[in-house]
Amino acid sequence: MNAMTGAVATLLGIEDAADLARVAAGAEAIADSLPAPARLGLRTGAGTLDVLARLTTGHALDGLDAAGRDAFCARVAARPSTARMAEMMKIPLLLAAGTELLPAPPPPHGLARPDPELDCAPAAEWPGCTTADAVVIGSGAGGAMAARTLARRGMSVVVLEEGRRFTSRDFRGRPPLDRFLGLYRDGGATFALGRPPVLLPEGRAVGGTTVVNSGTCYRTPEHVLRRWAEAGAPVEGFGDRLDEVEATLRVAPQPMGQLGRNGLLALAGAERLGWRAAPLRRNAPGCVGSAQCAVGCPHNAKYGVHLNALPQACEAGARIVTEATAERILVERGTATGVRARRPDGTFLEILAPRIVVAAGTTRTPLLLRRSGLGGHPELGRGMAVHPATNLAGRFAEPVVSWSGVMQSVGIEELHADGILIEATATPPGMSSFPLPGLGRSLRRELAGADRLAVLGAMIADAPSGRVHGARHRALIRYDLAREDAARLRRALVAMGRVLFAAGAEEVLTGLARKPAVRDEAELTRAAAMAAPADLHLAAFHPTGTAKLGADRARTPVDPAGRLRGVRGVHVADASVLPSCPGVNPQLTIMAMALAIADGIG
Amino acid sequence: MAPSTRARRTTFDEVMEGAFRLAGEDRDRPMRLDLSIDLPGVLRPWSDTEGALTGHVRVPGWADDHSAAGRLRVAPLTARRIRYTMDFTGRDGRRLHLDGWKSIDPRRPVRSMTTLPVTVTGEDGTVAGEGLLRFDLRRDLARFIAGARFPGPDPMRSRWRGQAGRLEVWYTTLTDPVTGTGFWLHHELLAPAGGEARSHGWATVFPPGERPVLARFGPYGWDRPEAGFLAGPVAHVGDRLTGTAGTIAWSLRETGGGEPVHTFPRWAWESELLPAAQIVPRPSAVYDGVVRFGDRVLELDGAPGASARIYGHGNARRWAWLHADLGGGDVCEIVAAVSTRPGLNRLPPLPLVRLRVDGEDLATGDPLLAARRLKADIGLPAWTVRGRIGDRALLVEVTQHPEETVAVDYADPDGAPAVCHNSERADVRIVLARRAGRGWETEREWRLDGTGHAEVGLR
Repeated sequence: MNAMTGAVATLLGIEDAADLARVAAGAEAIADSLPAPARLGLRTGAGTLDVLARLTTGHALDGLDAAGRDAFCARVAARPSTARMAEMMKIPLLLAAGTELLPAPPPPHGLARPDPELDCAPAAEWPGCTTADAVVIGSGAGGAMAARTLARRGMSVVVLEEGRRFTSRDFRGRPPLDRFLGLYRDGGATFALGRPPVLLPEGRAVGGTTVVNSGTCYRTPEHVLRRWAEAGAPVEGFGDRLDEVEATLRVAPQPMGQLGRNGLLALAGAERLGWRAAPLRRNAPGCVGSAQCAVGCPHNAKYGVHLNALPQACEAGARIVTEATAERILVERGTATGVRARRPDGTFLEILAPRIVVAAGTTRTPLLLRRSGLGGHPELGRGMAVHPATNLAGRFAEPVVSWSGVMQSVGIEELHADGILIEATATPPGMSSFPLPGLGRSLRRELAGADRLAVLGAMIADAPSGRVHGARHRALIRYDLAREDAARLRRALVAMGRVLFAAGAEEVLTGLARKPAVRDEAELTRAAAMAAPADLHLAAFHPTGTAKLGADRARTPVDPAGRLRGVRGVHVADASVLPSCPGVNPQLTIMAMALAIADGIG
Repeated sequence: MAPSTRARRTTFDEVMEGAFRLAGEDRDRPMRLDLSIDLPGVLRPWSDTEGALTGHVRVPGWADDHSAAGRLRVAPLTARRIRYTMDFTGRDGRRLHLDGWKSIDPRRPVRSMTTLPVTVTGEDGTVAGEGLLRFDLRRDLARFIAGARFPGPDPMRSRWRGQAGRLEVWYTTLTDPVTGTGFWLHHELLAPAGGEARSHGWATVFPPGERPVLARFGPYGWDRPEAGFLAGPVAHVGDRLTGTAGTIAWSLRETGGGEPVHTFPRWAWESELLPAAQIVPRPSAVYDGVVRFGDRVLELDGAPGASARIYGHGNARRWAWLHADLGGGDVCEIVAAVSTRPGLNRLPPLPLVRLRVDGEDLATGDPLLAARRLKADIGLPAWTVRGRIGDRALLVEVTQHPEETVAVDYADPDGAPAVCHNSERADVRIVLARRAGRGWETEREWRLDGTGHAEVGLR
């Protein structure tokens, strides 16, 4: 047994040797898919726990019996420094435990729609020297719309995608964890450095993050559009473009039938408080509520761009090159002439084209531009907004089985004017991302009772305080939670707790190390007020604004038409151009903005 | 912007070999490109230039086309790219397009400068195959460098840049070896001192023992063609000479030609400092095709001849010209002229002589300096040039039989007339002697019996 196996056995309280072997293998698989620093961190954590065990008990972790491990866990939890380390390790280990400790998803239903025809070629099969009228870098929400617009105009369009194509087969036959590790960059462990560090998961597949998002579709709020209009963004006629995007994605309110208990409890709690709440509008026609949006819909019901805009682009003649990482944009005397992309085997392919549309994603677009020698604008990579999010679980007397139903089902908009959006968001079956309290056997007990937990998430509209560093392939993301945003997150915690208590929760799990469980609102308010920003378990979604678009030359790297300043022939058409945090799930906004930009490409 | 008429070009040959994989196949085939490249300007590392590319594409069992043609763009620093595009025909008759480029990586200059990935597509854009070719430095670098040339601009391209008072001539003379018939084509661009430039000319057939048949064409306008002469139905572009003039029609193909003969110094042709200058871009060419005159047809098959050019302010006051094909690529080219310029017009004719023997041009050095040691005696029906050429003595005797000579009226840009007496049926005797003791000993002697091309211009 090595240190990792010992850590798994101790922190998750697994005693069965076969279970332990499987979970340890899962943990190793996660470690392998993590970026080097995170991998090192995980392994160092396991090694440190092992050394601590040897120092305090005289035995290695795997030499301890169950009682000895419990005692060791208690000692670890007692010291803030070791407790924090154990908490950090718990999330990947819980993910690895997956279906060993949690119920597996039921066998999938029939497909809502067949996999569409896509003209996809892996980079290994794509010739080294080709030409096109336009190259779109990235096949996510922005890239798909740009590709479709240009292809429909009769241009020969090539879409470069770093990830591979996933079909419903990939999602139906494999356990959630495998899918998770394959679908996300860095195995889903992209971190923004800061206090607290923020998890920033990003999809990497044909279709980009739209393959793994929750399917929640909000139109860009009017007050946000007004602000953008002042900044010079092309928001005239934005409503029509949003209509077009909604038609493409077949957006509709989620029917109550598949909502699931998690969503129904959120609705009930909000109703008792008299708060505005409703099932979310989603792009998931035919959703059966299997709560697996985040790891690829096994029914093709979640209608990401890989099922609509991209097939439509291919129908108009666009071609997609998968597993091709854009290395740099080729520039001659201030004019873009093509793209150089790396194949998985390290060789390169080049596509010459007079129009380059960068839609590599908020964290990747600045890197690509810098690699290409186009990162000269001082504001490039700065002012990144994310939606910092946290979650809260309520324990109910009756089973909730949050992983049965729509993953993100209900929106509570009572506090939206204050920048707080609460959404009932469960975790896919067989996965746990909620920081359940306890270590060792107490954690096992929590897991065993996980079916009685209802989970709410809240995201806030933040100050643009993130920054993407780096000029090579690895982004170094820095995100410092602003003081007022921390306050807003505490307020969001309390608000979610109120909804859960109103819905009948017996207790609420806070995820806060000092006070993991509270039994009433007052206790929660105190616990939230006591929590330092570093104690908050944060994830962030929807990064935007690293190459802002606007009229002010000095402050925006991209002009109002989406053209990158300082070079001819490069457009940016992804979330990085959004002038500020949109305050809602940004899928529709990004697509409508990409549509506006692509329409203007000559 | 039109390239300068004075600019040099860069030509070189390049061989690249590697592997080629046809779409749908799982094995590589060998591929080889033998390319000849002609770029405008002198190629420098910081150049960004594009030129013509011709060559041979070989993929055994799939393509073997000697007449592949396309473009090469060389921009190793400015665009970090050297791009090859060309069209060729596959074995099955399919037209194919090759596109590939070397992507210059400053960290791996040698490797990236010698590696060429190529993609071959069909006419509909579908990928027919993909190859990776390399330039073999060890095997081919020495040949590559030794084969690079920086010739002057295409001498057939018009030098006229819109100035008034200029005369530019493209002329071709040849002799049919079967019948002994001579043929003279004179294409002229005249930019008068006042008024529009116009192009005109004539064709003359010299059947043996008969009066020459002359027919004029033009005048036509001048559209500044990219290459050669092009006016109305008459063209001398590339290797094709076609046209009709009165009762004469011709369609000829010109091949070979050898290295240009600079009868006037090269600097005089390039700098345009003298009142006029002549060069012979193709001094020992061969002509195939048909010349029709009246109801007669002259079928040419390997007829020797030459194409020459004149550019300047006008015709000389008096002149004599000889082109003698001595066989085997050897030629004798003479222009003896008296300038029209005041002062200079009082001097005796200045004989500019180039004698190419066994590939060596005599006199070595500047023809204008060599002319000091030669003397011309211009007259009709016979004229001579004699004197010293290097350490040799030279005697050239030209006889233009009056019945086989045509008199053509010339006009200078200023309107001054001249009469040119031309014959492609001249007899020529050339004697080259070297010193032997106190006297001279004949080293070589050539006699041309009715195959010399000569003229005498008088006012």
